[in-house]
Amino acid sequence: MSMFEGLKFRKVSSPIHDLDPRVKFFYVIAMFAVAVMYMELLPLIVLFLIQVPLVTMAKVTKQWIKSMRGAAFFASIIFFTNFIFSYLYQGQQALPSILEYSMAMTLRFIVLVESFSIFFLTTSPDHLGLALEKSHVPYEFCFAFTTAVRFVPVLAEEAQTIMDAQKARGLELEKGNILKRVRNYIPILIPLIVNAIRRSLELAEAMESRAWGATKNRTNLYELKLRRGDYILALLTVVMLVLAVYARWHIPIPRIMEIFPWKASR
Amino acid sequence: MAIIETEKLTYTYPGAEKTSIENISIKIEEGEFVLLTGPSGCGKTTLCRCFNGLIPHFYEGKLEGKIQVVGLDVVKHPIHELAKHVGLVFQNPENQLFALSVEKDVAFGLENLGIPRKEIRQRVDWALKTTDIYHLRERPPYELSGGQQQRVAIASVLAMQPEVMVLDEPTSFLDPLGAKRIFEDIHKLNKELGITIILVEHRLDLTAKYANRIIIMDNGKVILNGKPREILDSEKARLIGIGIPKVTRLYQFLNGKGMRLNYVPLSSEEMAKKLKEVFKQ
Repeated sequence: MSMFEGLKFRKVSSPIHDLDPRVKFFYVIAMFAVAVMYMELLPLIVLFLIQVPLVTMAKVTKQWIKSMRGAAFFASIIFFTNFIFSYLYQGQQALPSILEYSMAMTLRFIVLVESFSIFFLTTSPDHLGLALEKSHVPYEFCFAFTTAVRFVPVLAEEAQTIMDAQKARGLELEKGNILKRVRNYIPILIPLIVNAIRRSLELAEAMESRAWGATKNRTNLYELKLRRGDYILALLTVVMLVLAVYARWHIPIPRIMEIFPWKASR
Repeated sequence: MAIIETEKLTYTYPGAEKTSIENISIKIEEGEFVLLTGPSGCGKTTLCRCFNGLIPHFYEGKLEGKIQVVGLDVVKHPIHELAKHVGLVFQNPENQLFALSVEKDVAFGLENLGIPRKEIRQRVDWALKTTDIYHLRERPPYELSGGQQQRVAIASVLAMQPEVMVLDEPTSFLDPLGAKRIFEDIHKLNKELGITIILVEHRLDLTAKYANRIIIMDNGKVILNGKPREILDSEKARLIGIGIPKVTRLYQFLNGKGMRLNYVPLSSEEMAKKLKEVFKQ
């Protein structure tokens, strides 16, 4: 899934990568809230554009574009369902406003994907685990989280090996109708699960051998410290949030077609 | 006092009918390099699990007899306490690394012990430098080669500064050259840091020269236990079917042909030197 491709972390060093994950998460949540608050196209365009500098600063433009391209499929579904249903309800007269409304809904989704993608592209799972720990999530859960992330590529590779092995024995994965195809994957899933269980046992053994659970007051090699950049981002986010809430209730938001007379004249 | 001492150690896995190890009485002295070998399924891994308390704490089952490691009774001390003294390195490097960066993995044990951050940093850097992987510290373990991964596993055990290191077939997933390097590293830890090594290995060709002692197990019992040269030359060792080094076989062959070399060679270097001396005479 190319949309998820854009959520995969790669180690790059940039001012955005160095930010505290908690502050970045606060920013994502704020973005989410603001995007949901508005149904008009204009503020959503603004939201989309103000995030672009963050992407270029984080030097993840390529991956980010990839995730945007992946989101395009879902975005078009959102666009067409909104468009078709509003059209059915409101008829032909309101076509420009329906068009604008559907575009706004689509852009809302894109803004959400954009901010989440910035978060995941620039936050190492290690830091994420650490942030969870600092937020008083029990260490066992944080550990389970980072370990799960760490074993994704390992299991993917293993699945590929099993698939090759089963194909070599004559298993045809791409044959038959949908039900048959799903059933074709059973001989792949079972060894994969059995192997995963065996692997987890070995992991547990290795963890025990390295003093897992020796003390309640576990230390951590890394430390999260709020630096200047974190305060700046937090401040900007608060300002944006306040402005957005204020504008929502006190400033009437013009429609794009009201600004551009060529559309309004129709 | 010996650093590891077992007396009539017998263990049965839960649900198993047959004992996995039986009547094991061995003594290992501090600073020794012990090579533990024997056919697959002979109980080597089971014995290793006893050294750091995985047996009986992690695998329940029935343990009889006595086992003391670094003066601690294994049955009475939890694994995490024994882990400070005995490091275990497993066969598959992939399944003993859990973090997303090498240095975090090496720090894992120290973090669990609650050691202050500054000291963790020092010990991690030291362990990484000792095992020659300092330059890899920020890489994710799954991107590394098998040999590098196994080095990370060794470093992560080393960082805990144990007195004893038990390595259970650490090279069975590696290519010969990677294996050779790992053995050299292990030898270095033994020579320079004085860590007692217990190495489970089939490749005696590469390891016999480092060992002070070889223990051969078969069917859950210790069959032979003694000096490498005596053990490898014995008829019993050959019959069990362990991989006697080729140079030792050559020595036996030459001996049979009436060519007397005065000691059993353990490595090709030793053999070459010996042969040169003989030919000069």
